[in-house]
Amino acid sequence: MENVVELKNVTKKFKGFSVENIDLQVKQGFVTGFIGANGAGKSTTIKMMMNLLKPDAGEVKLFGLDYKTHEKAIKERIGFVYDGNVFFEGLNLKDIKRIVAPAYKHWDDKIFLKYVEQFELPLNKAIKTFSKGMQMKASLAIALSHHAELIIMDEPTAGLDPIFRRELLVLLQELMLDGNRTIFFSTHITTDLDRIADYIALIQRGQLVFNKSIHEVAESYALVKGGMDLLDRDTEKDFVHIHRASTGFEALTDNINAVKNTFGDKVVIERASLEDIMYYLKGGMHHV
Amino acid sequence: MQIIISNSSKEPIYEQITNQIKSSILAGELQEGTAIPSMRNLAKDLQISVITTKRAYEELEKAGFIYSIVGKGSFVAEQNLEVIREKKLKVIEEQLGAVISNSREIGLSLDELQQLLKILYEE
Amino acid sequence: MFNLIRRDIILQKRQLFIFIPFILFFIFMDAHPALTFLIASIFIPFNTYAYDEKTETNILLNSLPYTRTEIIASRYLGAIVYMVLAIGVTSLALFAFNKTFTMNDIAIGSSLFLLFASITFPLFYILKPGYITMVVIISFLVLASVGPAIVLFLADRLTAITDFIVNLSVPTLYTGATIAIIIVYVISWGITTAIYQRKAF
Repeated sequence: MENVVELKNVTKKFKGFSVENIDLQVKQGFVTGFIGANGAGKSTTIKMMMNLLKPDAGEVKLFGLDYKTHEKAIKERIGFVYDGNVFFEGLNLKDIKRIVAPAYKHWDDKIFLKYVEQFELPLNKAIKTFSKGMQMKASLAIALSHHAELIIMDEPTAGLDPIFRRELLVLLQELMLDGNRTIFFSTHITTDLDRIADYIALIQRGQLVFNKSIHEVAESYALVKGGMDLLDRDTEKDFVHIHRASTGFEALTDNINAVKNTFGDKVVIERASLEDIMYYLKGGMHHV
Repeated sequence: MQIIISNSSKEPIYEQITNQIKSSILAGELQEGTAIPSMRNLAKDLQISVITTKRAYEELEKAGFIYSIVGKGSFVAEQNLEVIREKKLKVIEEQLGAVISNSREIGLSLDELQQLLKILYEE
Repeated sequence: MFNLIRRDIILQKRQLFIFIPFILFFIFMDAHPALTFLIASIFIPFNTYAYDEKTETNILLNSLPYTRTEIIASRYLGAIVYMVLAIGVTSLALFAFNKTFTMNDIAIGSSLFLLFASITFPLFYILKPGYITMVVIISFLVLASVGPAIVLFLADRLTAITDFIVNLSVPTLYTGATIAIIIVYVISWGITTAIYQRKAF
């Protein structure tokens, strides 16, 4: 089984907001970063993956199984981390473990205690006294202690300081040593992904723009910079969006070869960062 | 095995890896049959994504520098160093040919050219 | 599923310390034993809803390997388990203070509790979080104050029905009442399950 998560034509409509016709595959053994601006539909998509929301139309499958018939089997194999704390605030970590652990067939106390020690988490203090970073570490310790094959995280790095974000990324990389494990996480901090993501899925205004390996992304998009005199109706066709200034233009292209043919050495062609891609795609998507 | 990745280089990261492993093999630092780290371990050590090391290893395999055995890992393949040396020499000859014809165009003498080469070589 | 029921004790460890004095208060006030049994039964299951009304709790429970049907079943079965435990503890307390009570009091207390639960449990999942505690308090007060009046009123007007009830033999009455309450409870269980299946978090 190559795809751990498979969304086919998934649609969910709310008042004034909808996620439409999402086709998304998450490949086993890799890290997929799910990016998009706030409100683009990341959380909604993740909730449908977790069966917290049921799609109006389309199919959601995890490990090739359907939630209707295999809800428990699927959730046994998922470790989850959400943006906010979902654990009972008044309880300490020991009591939370007492509630969560029996839910899983493969809960492993040794691993849990190892992470508690590694993250320097107090077992006897109420969760509500934890800092944002500690709450996140506590969620992570719980998510990682039942031999989950798929780790789903919704904005795990939001509100964390850079040092802890970096530590988290190192930890995730250690988890990936096990080739069967898959990580899917959403973020709007694209620099988190530069280091560890294998695949990038970009969602904008409720629609999936692409889901590509980082190499495909690097090969399909580029930033082009040049003088304003180069632009006309014909040459502009190869750009997704153009930012014009008196000093010259900067534009995103999804057709690097065409740009090279048209302009040759007259323009500078640079690698586009994920942030560049998000920014320019948001400005205009006339032929994506 | 030492690999140094530059994030500011124009060269893609997977190419930096293939090139550095290639030169270690050609320089004889990595002997035939030596096990190289698994792509997941290498990704962790270099703090880069698995798909990047995967691509690097795939290119190295295609070029015949390494081979992989499922469940065992990747190893340095047998290299016919003689052949590689000859190929390289041929490339150098061609490049020097271009240098000579360029030099003749602007009337650079052999002495001057040799002197230039000497300075650049020792740099 | 047993874990879900057991969860209430872990969650309410501290509140349980209030439980005993709370019951003792009713005992010393010389409240009707049936009322004491009712109050005692309500304590744990309704305290749980103070947690379960929170979206976070529902996200947690639904992300763990439980089905929605199980989550609701644990509520309904848990309510019965905690009712039995509460009745046990209350009986002991009544014994200890030499208060008299009959099986009848237990029967009335527990039937009222089950009826109350049948009405309020589905409401918990229909109403928005935050309103729930208020609804419980209001409906309890309404039930406690208006309930007996309605019963008397009905008894007065609908003599046909009361005559019919009075004429029933005691065993038939008890069996009938038990079956009626079980049916109401099961219907409520079914409705709540259906509502919960459709919920989004």
